[in-house]
Amino acid sequence: MDVKVDKTIDERGEVCPVPDVDAKRAWKSMKPGEVLEVLIDYPLSKERIPANAEKAGHKVLAIEETGPSEWRILIQIGGNKK
Amino acid sequence: MQAIILGLITGLAFGWILQRGRVCFNSAFRDLYLMKDNFLFKAITFAMALELIAFPLMAQLGWIKLNPKPLNIVGQVIGGLIFGIGMVLAGGCASGTTYRVGEGNTTSWVAAFTYALTATAVKHGGLNGLLKWVSRFTVKITPTTSANLYDKKVGPTLATALHINHWIIAIILSAILLWYVFGTKTTKRPDAKMSWKAIGLWLVPVAMFGFWSSYISGRHYGLGITGGWISITEMYTQGKMLSWEGAEILGIIIAAFISALLAKEFKFRVPKRGVAYLQTAIGGVLLGLGAVLASGCNIGNYFTGIPQLSIGSIIAGVCFILGNWFMSWILYGRS
Repeated sequence: MDVKVDKTIDERGEVCPVPDVDAKRAWKSMKPGEVLEVLIDYPLSKERIPANAEKAGHKVLAIEETGPSEWRILIQIGGNKK
Repeated sequence: MQAIILGLITGLAFGWILQRGRVCFNSAFRDLYLMKDNFLFKAITFAMALELIAFPLMAQLGWIKLNPKPLNIVGQVIGGLIFGIGMVLAGGCASGTTYRVGEGNTTSWVAAFTYALTATAVKHGGLNGLLKWVSRFTVKITPTTSANLYDKKVGPTLATALHINHWIIAIILSAILLWYVFGTKTTKRPDAKMSWKAIGLWLVPVAMFGFWSSYISGRHYGLGITGGWISITEMYTQGKMLSWEGAEILGIIIAAFISALLAKEFKFRVPKRGVAYLQTAIGGVLLGLGAVLASGCNIGNYFTGIPQLSIGSIIAGVCFILGNWFMSWILYGRS
């Protein structure tokens, strides 16, 4: 997916649950409408980060497979950010 | 040889579910507190609710004898808290760390190594003094209530302590857990490979087969992790015969590896921050120390001990959660 990314966090290789926590901290620091790109290689986080983002009122634009067990998650920050 | 084959079969089935269901108690507890997410916690609770009925049924049919863990308040509180803290640093509990070894997480390799080594040291090696000191507080009893279901000398259970038939307490507790599982809202995880209900359901036959096959192999207990890592360490360093539990660990790692490979989830994951290795190494040491002092890890206590109504396992289980929440708060809770 081709969108303007405002912030990227590279969480590949990180220990559980660092990717989830870093993603949460990142979207808390961003403005509504901005796009967060999360790079991960940890399967559990691929399931959990999008679910948490939706719950926090953000929009998951895409979950793309970028390599063997590597994903790129794009999240657009929602208006009522938590 | 029979013990090794049966342990291996159990481990293969267990490892498959652990990998597909991402069954890590560290995540389950921490998500509950940090993310207000109860998906995995529900899966685990569902399995426990069914095991509460399945295990006494197997004992009633004469397939096994229940052998609840001894009560040791000092060991289970101190060891439980240490283990709970350790799983956060290690990035996985005993089962989580073990299945992630097969997924290629190099940080889990480090954690598993220090976990195995430390557990062996506390059980039989240089740190054994700690276990000896804690063992002074161990309580075992000869059950007088529901004695037909139990081994001769066992840890006290809610049934033996209250002198109420084991079945009555097991059914009440199971009903309470089922009410929580189905009566409260569950966090959605639409991309998960297995639903929480499927994870819970699949774990039960594996736990039953594990208990039965381990029992007939002379080890009177069900699924566990820590004893298995100790067995592997002793086989490697002292040439001892691999135990049922050791074979179970090998099975878990093999199945997790194959399952991850098929799901295209196998990868040598290397953290950019080198300090992550130090963190998981310390976590593994705490897992080993805590698990042996608490007479079992999360699997031995939650999946095998609490479903037998062991009071010791209940205390250890509560302390695992408290330790986990404390360390999660220190590392991740304060933004």
